[in-house]
Amino acid sequence: MLAGIARRVGRRLLASIPALLGVVIVTFTLMRVLPGDPATFFASGPSAGKEEIEELRRTMGLDKPIPVQLVRYLGEIARGDFGRSMTTGQPVVLDIKRRLPASLELTCTALVIALFLAIPLGIFAALRQGSLIDHAVRLLCTLGVCVPTFVSGLLLIYAFYYLLGWAPDPTARIDIFASAPPDITGFYLIDFALTGDWEGWWAAFRQLILPAFTMALFVLAPLARMTRASMLAVLGSDFIRTAHAMGLSRLRIVVAYALRNALLPVITITGIVFSTMLGANVLVEKVFSWPGVASYALDALLSSDYAPVQAFVLLMASIFVLVNVTIDVLYGIADPRVSVA
Amino acid sequence: MAQSRAETLRYVTGATINTLDLTMFGSTREAFGLSMNVYDRLFRFGRKKVADYWVFDPDTITGELAKAYSISPDNKVITITLRPDATWHDGTPVTAEDIKWSLDRAVSAKSLAQPQFTTGSLTSVDQFKIVDPQTLTVTLEKPDRLALANLCVPYAIMINSKLAKKNATAEDPWAQEWMKTNTAASGAYIVESHKPGESTVLRRNEKWVGGPGGALPNFKRVIIQTVPEPATRANLVERGDADLAIDLAAADLPTIETSAKAKLVSMPQTNGFTHIAMNTQLAPFDNVKVRKAIAAALPYEDMFKAAIFGRGKKLYDGTWSTTPPDASFPQPIPNKTDPALAKKLLAEAGYPNGFSTTFSFNVGAAATAEPLAALVKEALGKAGIQVEIQKKPDAEFNTLASERKMPFFTDGATAWLPYTYYFFYLYFTREQRWNFASFKSTKMEELTLDARYQTDKAKYDDDCVKMIEIFGAETPLIMLWQPNHDAAMSKSVDGYTYQFYRQADFRDLKRV
Repeated sequence: MLAGIARRVGRRLLASIPALLGVVIVTFTLMRVLPGDPATFFASGPSAGKEEIEELRRTMGLDKPIPVQLVRYLGEIARGDFGRSMTTGQPVVLDIKRRLPASLELTCTALVIALFLAIPLGIFAALRQGSLIDHAVRLLCTLGVCVPTFVSGLLLIYAFYYLLGWAPDPTARIDIFASAPPDITGFYLIDFALTGDWEGWWAAFRQLILPAFTMALFVLAPLARMTRASMLAVLGSDFIRTAHAMGLSRLRIVVAYALRNALLPVITITGIVFSTMLGANVLVEKVFSWPGVASYALDALLSSDYAPVQAFVLLMASIFVLVNVTIDVLYGIADPRVSVA
Repeated sequence: MAQSRAETLRYVTGATINTLDLTMFGSTREAFGLSMNVYDRLFRFGRKKVADYWVFDPDTITGELAKAYSISPDNKVITITLRPDATWHDGTPVTAEDIKWSLDRAVSAKSLAQPQFTTGSLTSVDQFKIVDPQTLTVTLEKPDRLALANLCVPYAIMINSKLAKKNATAEDPWAQEWMKTNTAASGAYIVESHKPGESTVLRRNEKWVGGPGGALPNFKRVIIQTVPEPATRANLVERGDADLAIDLAAADLPTIETSAKAKLVSMPQTNGFTHIAMNTQLAPFDNVKVRKAIAAALPYEDMFKAAIFGRGKKLYDGTWSTTPPDASFPQPIPNKTDPALAKKLLAEAGYPNGFSTTFSFNVGAAATAEPLAALVKEALGKAGIQVEIQKKPDAEFNTLASERKMPFFTDGATAWLPYTYYFFYLYFTREQRWNFASFKSTKMEELTLDARYQTDKAKYDDDCVKMIEIFGAETPLIMLWQPNHDAAMSKSVDGYTYQFYRQADFRDLKRV
């Protein structure tokens, strides 16, 4: 079975290469047809004239026709060179290497919180359909979706930092006066744990919890609703009735039989939710000054800074591919029939 | 932690310091601010008190790395003596050779410094001569009045040439690549760590001699932190967790003013102006009567209140008609809301039923420009002019402005060198990005040219008055106001100075 999984993963990864190439070409072209000329934007210092703009266009390689630029760009990314960001002045690879762990740490924590809340809530809502709990879950989910993350984020900051003073100031991944952990994985919680610095771990955790919770609230709805719907479908099916008839314990029926079968669509939606969160958490990153990739890409986009936007889109596409492959593998574990196909 | 919290200044900002060498293309305003604190220049502008607050003073120029200077009687040779005790951050002495290399770099390397220096007639390496290890001369072809002032601007950094040359390459003789992420400076602060988009930490240079009277800055450590959300920056200052923030949202300012831990320092940006520009080369705005009609139709008072909550200095309601009371600029222009006059002028211009146009502003300025645009649309609609509002992303707006494709738009500007001549030279002559209205006037070109090399103060003032007269008569753009520069800071921080580059100068600040 392991060999089968490996073969399938390999095939899926190979098949995704044309799609990734397509993504690169589309982003590349799109950036260049968007109105807004980076050379003009970046040269608009207090004394920028025509010559400076032309000079900058030359150094950025924008004076060449688009196909020529594209070929050169493809050659560069094949060598692992993603260009330099004008907004931060750093090579894009370096920026992303520093910022991606921040985004991943936030997204993963948020997803774990969301799953821990959503699955039990979904199950209870399904078991007590139409009850007060069901309505309460529905209300919570609706609120989570309706309130944009920057509003809930700002509200949480206002309550927990500004009024109560429980949370640390919502700036960055760790208190500015404390020192960051040694760079091992880039995930502060893991790095602090590895070095045994529990005081640091607690500081990083406190910093993380508000933004993670804000994001979790936002994705609670799709997860909980999907769990509920899927559980309802499964609970109404024949084998559950049979299980009841056989006199199996209620806990065993719900967790071992119903939940396992109901999880498939939840896993699918979790994959999609994860990918969307990673790219769409820009508002949370902005509100909490979280140095992640999404806010990085947005800043770049607003100033027509091509290199970071292109690299960001490619990164997101690659992550999406990886997540999908992972989901595939998880399917196989949740439902062995999938592996056979 | 080596230094206590009281000795540390925590400054929160919305933008990113994207380079340690601010002369690089695309460097941000935050990078200018950092550079002023890390690099020394030969000279600096003094500061003066306006009402309760400190504002930079372009009329007093004092030495920073220069100990003294003299100007030849024909105003063409500036002789500069260096401070003998000045050292670079690596401990080596500052020599005339370093200074010459730095000036050569400014006029030779492709950078933002080069075009800036041309405004002071500093264009060639031959102009800078070493006399002895402590002395050098700057020679001008004509007595350009802005030569000395240009040595005070952020771009005029003085560089440790031995260190920079070590890191230069054949393709990059001026070490531009290396200096983006490294410093070779002598200034008041030393960069301890720099993470673009997150934070930059500075420590005081204990051997700094460039300060007024040789005094060291008060703060031993400065943390510059990027916090993109303006509301969060306001919260941080209000709670006393951060010491200083500028560029806050107008809505947060009243809370700061009444806060227990924070205070607000507000002063008009004396070198700036917000305006509404009309493309003087495009119909119907090529007709001066149309421009004057618009100037008469605008509801200035309402705009002033809605856009900036009255926080600034008015540049309308001037009390003169053809000749301004003095040679200063920007000064209130005699524009007044007069719908009847607007209708009359439009009819005279041949548009009795008005016309249609677009009015643009950039997303970055939306907080103030959006209410302004709505009022413009409403007021002009009453005069029969149909206005379609266009909100453009910053990069696109800049491109359109540069290519002169917008007929009618609002924007802001600040001049580093706030001399009347420089305002008109920069904003109302030549075909370039900052000539917002694409204004063309031979008389204006002649006047700016004469003023530039004019050594007679009375004649210079006379030129300036004439420039303002042309501006008043032609109305290429409509001056609205000088918005306030608002700095929110902890109650214990004092000495904040409004600088021409609109950034905090940490060297002036102290905790009391």
